Amino acid sequence: MTRSRWRMLLGIFAVLGVFSIAVACGDDDDEGDSAATQPAGGSPTQATNSGGAPKGTITIRAVQFENWDPHFSDFAQDISHFYMVNRGLYMLDLQNKPQPELADGMPKVSADGKVYTIKLKSGLKWSDGQPIKAEQFVAGIQRTCNPDVAGHYQFILDESVKGCHDYSAAGKEAADKKEQLRAAMGVKAIDDLTLEITLNQAQPTFTTILTMWPTFPTPTHKVAKVDDKWPGPMESAYTGPFMPSKYTEKNSLELVPNPNWSGAAKPKVEKIVLRYIDDPAVATQAYRAGEIDATVLPAAEFPAVKADSNLSKELNQFPATRTFGLAFNQRAGQVGEKMDLRLALSQAVDRDAMNQVVFKGVQTATTNWMPPDRSGLPLNAFKDQVGFNVTKAKESLSKAGYADGKGFPKLTLLLTDTTENKDLGAFLKDQWKKNLNIDVDLEFVDSKTRSTRYNTGAFQLVIAGWQEDYPDPENWYIGLRETGGSINKEGCSLPALDDLIKKAKVNTNDEERRKQYQEAEKLAVTNAQCNLPLWHVSALRLVKPYITGMKESKRAGDTFVMGDWNPENWATSKK
Amino acid sequence: MVGYTIRRFLALIPLLFAVVTITFFLMHAVQGGPFDSDRPLTENTRARLEEKYNLDGSLGEQYVYYLRNLGRGDLGISFSNDRPVRDIIADRFPVSLHLGLYAFVFALSMGLVLGVVAALHQNGRWDYATVFISTVGAALPPFILAPFLVWGFALKLDWFNVLSSDYGPISVLDWSWVWHDLTHMRQIVLPTVALGFLPAAFIARVTRASMLDVLRQDYIRTARSKGLDHFRVVMRHAIRNALIPVLTIAGPIFAGLITGSFIIERAFSIPGLGRSFIESVVNRDYGVIMGTTVFFAVIISVMNLVVDLAYAIVDPRIRL
Repeated sequence: MTRSRWRMLLGIFAVLGVFSIAVACGDDDDEGDSAATQPAGGSPTQATNSGGAPKGTITIRAVQFENWDPHFSDFAQDISHFYMVNRGLYMLDLQNKPQPELADGMPKVSADGKVYTIKLKSGLKWSDGQPIKAEQFVAGIQRTCNPDVAGHYQFILDESVKGCHDYSAAGKEAADKKEQLRAAMGVKAIDDLTLEITLNQAQPTFTTILTMWPTFPTPTHKVAKVDDKWPGPMESAYTGPFMPSKYTEKNSLELVPNPNWSGAAKPKVEKIVLRYIDDPAVATQAYRAGEIDATVLPAAEFPAVKADSNLSKELNQFPATRTFGLAFNQRAGQVGEKMDLRLALSQAVDRDAMNQVVFKGVQTATTNWMPPDRSGLPLNAFKDQVGFNVTKAKESLSKAGYADGKGFPKLTLLLTDTTENKDLGAFLKDQWKKNLNIDVDLEFVDSKTRSTRYNTGAFQLVIAGWQEDYPDPENWYIGLRETGGSINKEGCSLPALDDLIKKAKVNTNDEERRKQYQEAEKLAVTNAQCNLPLWHVSALRLVKPYITGMKESKRAGDTFVMGDWNPENWATSKK
Repeated sequence: MVGYTIRRFLALIPLLFAVVTITFFLMHAVQGGPFDSDRPLTENTRARLEEKYNLDGSLGEQYVYYLRNLGRGDLGISFSNDRPVRDIIADRFPVSLHLGLYAFVFALSMGLVLGVVAALHQNGRWDYATVFISTVGAALPPFILAPFLVWGFALKLDWFNVLSSDYGPISVLDWSWVWHDLTHMRQIVLPTVALGFLPAAFIARVTRASMLDVLRQDYIRTARSKGLDHFRVVMRHAIRNALIPVLTIAGPIFAGLITGSFIIERAFSIPGLGRSFIESVVNRDYGVIMGTTVFFAVIISVMNLVVDLAYAIVDPRIRL
């Protein structure tokens, strides 16, 4: 090859290199969005702390948020982000009781339980120094009901707040009609510090709803119109204890104390780094190497960590608010229509063995739908009715018309395709074969396909569960167990259960209401309605010994690390 | 050659059309949509979202709509985070390109050195060592190699980090990234090796075979008989000609490395395009799936064209 040809060849590669680099640098105007470094508002050094200046940095494993708009998103990782930088009128304390956060005291509720009058604390400011006003809470609630925002948590206010449903259903109406419906909603600012919310009917849990992100205020100086796009992390303003100071999508988000945070507990660390790591196994390795200070532990690593004399001391295991079980399609003509068949399959599963074999002892075997903390019932309250008992299982199957498994119809268990679910499917299939002499087919699909089939009734039996939205028994029943309920995907129906839920929904006597839900639990489980519970999920978290405030602030619903709704309580003694 | 290049660029149009059409209909044929989850949306919310993202029409209407937007250079919107796909690619691709360039340089240097050394010492210690390394490299998939490297070099020896760097954009105008990378070598070495090891093994095998072939050619014997020293024969006559097959495979390898590896990006938590693409498939984020596929198709087509042109330049016998 001649020298000139070599030069030509090098020239081509040089052109290619410049092309590649040009592509790489072709969007410099976006850099400010993706890797900005200035705090979103104010200076972190202005933050004061009654216990001294904030010190140190805490790095935790997190998952990239999908959407920064609290009135749109329903992803667990997004919600954990929201509570780090935003707060609403009320905040749940560690006993899950709503306490005033930006509100000045508990709401004044009218005699009929429908009108809530709420005063704001005076002198509240956003992180950028702008005043927080009552009209911004109005705008927040209106945004959640706005059909054009199409928030995933619209349902939480849809039936509660007067006019919300009319507004949310007006997607195809003209703009002026939508504006009329928005203005007609039962939420208004009496003055800068007073807010009034009118409900369709008394709702004993509404103050708890006011702790949730769909009711967070809108920074109207950033989001001028009710359907404007929510600003990105570095452009928005915040009401919470921290605010973003640097953000690189899919890589990390850095938070610094909000200088205008009004809460009593002041941030104790200079910086929190949320390192976005998709794979929890990778996060565990990073934790071992000391690159992060706290993380979730995947169940597969539980035995190894428990056997490690050092790491086991940093391991925390506690109940999460999530239950999984056997969800039968109970619609007419389906195999799962027969209650005795559903009971038989539940009674044939040794839940303790399942927990040891499939989950390495991490989860909690159960026959309860609601976790005991939520229902007030003991664990395994229904073991005599639906728990493991081969004799009863055979009797139930016989009552269903399939004695000794003879003539048992084709039944397919649908599962998401994961390693753990493969073990689970094999275990259940073996239990049903061994204890009932029936063959159940297994079908593994990806998570979206499974969800679609589950939502549209295109299944016979599926492993499904529930993660609570807010800490109240009603969240485990309303919409889920009512005949025709919006989340009743199994098509289950029990009139006595419907009556009970209807009464409990509006019962303002809290003690009585909780008893009604205990009764509902008994009715639902013993009649094998919708879902026959198998296990409650346990949370596994690792936290370094030099971190304080995480364990102390833990909640059953924590997503990334313990106490991720209260980062203002975190502190580190690491130099 | 100019005519050939123009023809190849024009051929990109039907190729991209075919890629877009096949991807679009395959993507929609898979069960499950972007707004499906165990917690179903209300009918109103779902209807508004489908309208917002133009999913409310028939499949044919959606296809025409997509083609029309694509013709205007609009790659669409991500359904999960509402960002333009163009911005997502602009953010993610530089990261994959940055890592891919390092891996390519590593693979090329290691592959060429090992291949040449092995050929020059055929059936000797160096040759066996090279064959062993390249066989191991070819047999170890990245999802095995990456955790192994992390375990050995990050957790046991503490030479490198488990988590990788943020890989800022590289630029010829601002060289600060070089300093950034030099000060973050603990975070850069393992992903580079994990990504580049398999192609390095492949390049080593091809280089060795090609060198052995060239070293037996008459013109090498002639060069030696003219009294040229060993070094000059190898550098000037053998290696140059042995590189032709390597060049053929270097283009696709380069394209494969810079378009991102889901496995490596996930294993070292790197915010690249490979991770983003696989996530979009799992989430049925149609906009990102389509946009990234079109982008990949262009990159790979251009790389193939470059290789064909380079091949013609290196080997004068080839006429385009």
